[in-house]
Amino acid sequence: MNARERFNATMHYLPRDRSPIMDFGFWSETLVTWERYGLPPGTDTDAFFGMDPQWIVAPINSHLYPAFEHVVLEDRGETEIVRDGDGVTKEQGKFLGSIPRHMDHVLKDRESWEKEFRWRLDGRQPERYPHDWASIQQRFQDPQRDYPIGINAGSLYGWLRNWMGLEAISMLVYDDPALFEEMVEVVTDCIIDSMSPALESGIQFDYALMWEDMCYRAGPLLSPAVFKRVLVPNFKRITDTLARFGVDVVITDCDGEITQLLPLWLESGVNCMFPLEVGAWGADPVEFRKKYGRDLLMMGGVGKRVLAGPKEQIRAEVERLAPLVEDGGYIPTPDHRVPPDVPLDNYIYYLDTAKEIWGKGLPNLLPTAPQGLELPKADPDRYSWHLGD
Amino acid sequence: MDLQPLYDSVLIGDAKTTRSIVEQALAEGVGPQQLLDDYMIPAMDEVGRRFEANEYFVPELLISARAMKGALEILRPLLADSGSQTIGRVIVGTVRGDLHDIGKNLVAAMLEGGGFEVVDLGVDVPPEKFIESIGETNADIIAMSALLTTTMPGMKTTIEALESAGIRNNVKVIIGGAPVTQRYADEIGADGFSDNASAAVRLCRDLVNA
Repeated sequence: MNARERFNATMHYLPRDRSPIMDFGFWSETLVTWERYGLPPGTDTDAFFGMDPQWIVAPINSHLYPAFEHVVLEDRGETEIVRDGDGVTKEQGKFLGSIPRHMDHVLKDRESWEKEFRWRLDGRQPERYPHDWASIQQRFQDPQRDYPIGINAGSLYGWLRNWMGLEAISMLVYDDPALFEEMVEVVTDCIIDSMSPALESGIQFDYALMWEDMCYRAGPLLSPAVFKRVLVPNFKRITDTLARFGVDVVITDCDGEITQLLPLWLESGVNCMFPLEVGAWGADPVEFRKKYGRDLLMMGGVGKRVLAGPKEQIRAEVERLAPLVEDGGYIPTPDHRVPPDVPLDNYIYYLDTAKEIWGKGLPNLLPTAPQGLELPKADPDRYSWHLGD
Repeated sequence: MDLQPLYDSVLIGDAKTTRSIVEQALAEGVGPQQLLDDYMIPAMDEVGRRFEANEYFVPELLISARAMKGALEILRPLLADSGSQTIGRVIVGTVRGDLHDIGKNLVAAMLEGGGFEVVDLGVDVPPEKFIESIGETNADIIAMSALLTTTMPGMKTTIEALESAGIRNNVKVIIGGAPVTQRYADEIGADGFSDNASAAVRLCRDLVNA
């Protein structure tokens, strides 16, 4: 069984040899920290950690085109003020992975929408495909392709929130609901138009990937009522398009506490939640399966806090999730990018344990790290507060 | 004058109507403290209740806070002239190394709506800046925010700095943010923890009344 067959069997509850072994990636500081403990600088982490082929997504641009010019406006030492490709002026760490602080946005109202954004959302522009698309298409259409590929299905709220800022987009819902709805519809059109040539080309995509990041620790950033009225019909336009081309696994990067939106996402055809952040609110993929059954596909759900703690707890968590992994429809990964307080030694232990239990120790698993790498032990006191909540 | 519409306009986040009613009420001789205490703060309390009950979400909270803020711009000078005291002064800030400000801003907005005076130090605030601000403002409470597991130790560092400066007992410390828990608050010796902006107002009221 190859990685593509395994991914598809997992997402359709079909028999397979083992679970896919995948991850979500790392903060940049994590890799810098781990380099001090033996990770070769500039390493290909997928190869080093022995992951199955993962997150290969067709390089089609369904976002703003052209993007705004990226300009560094001010150097503040450890941080810098930039205006990014979304027209957002923000302060961001040059060396740290903290989420940047938005300071100003080109998109403010209908005038700026019409003048600066709407024309950048024409999904039919041929430049949305890379110049070497023909060769990529050929590789993707190869009947012997042994790895899963995805198509980018955009974002209906997350992009708008980034372009306007949370406060402005939140108030727009009330101050100018017609503009909010129009923006969502234009973005939806752009996503569908930009995906369509690839879908119509005959490439069989294994999944679609969306990004919203629209939940936080207390729930959704937008009310379920507005989500249902404005977003669900447009999500459905996208998922209906995908379904016509056989793409029935639609993953969304949702983040946060998702329970209030989950039924609406399922209603709209977005059926795979990722990364199922465990968070301080204690989300649990086992409980989600009990509540939503097999309609809900899941990825993620392995708490970062557990990875930072003692190894016996890491092993216990892998064992706890094993029946769900075996049931299918779920690919476990850390519940977000791995932060630098997870020791490299712990991460390697987690992967080795995952390969042993979820991967059943099969010979088609790739080794986690070169033999002979000496790693320092984690200091359990340092991470004690991670545990038990 | 029937002032129930003032309560209603804050509750639904109608800033224009809120401002208009406040101006009219003042012109008719209603005291600013009465407008605040009897209508606007109770309306924001109801906003908070609905927020915690998942009847209101971030947009609803923000538009109500905006209505409140607009009216406070009119009322504050009058309150100051009459010698009125706020129920407490809170310093808010995101700890050193963390640039995240959304949660902090929501807390600040709700605290203002709840009748507190807020001193917002912004993001990436080092312990010494919190200490300096206590000296300048004589604040009752410090409210610290962190988004990241890697920056939340800055809360502990700040509390330690308050102890070193000999002013820990002069001020209450509360914390919040995505990775923060009650257990962590207990571990680092914070006086309180809140997992949302509305509960933070309740917590601050409890602390200033303690």
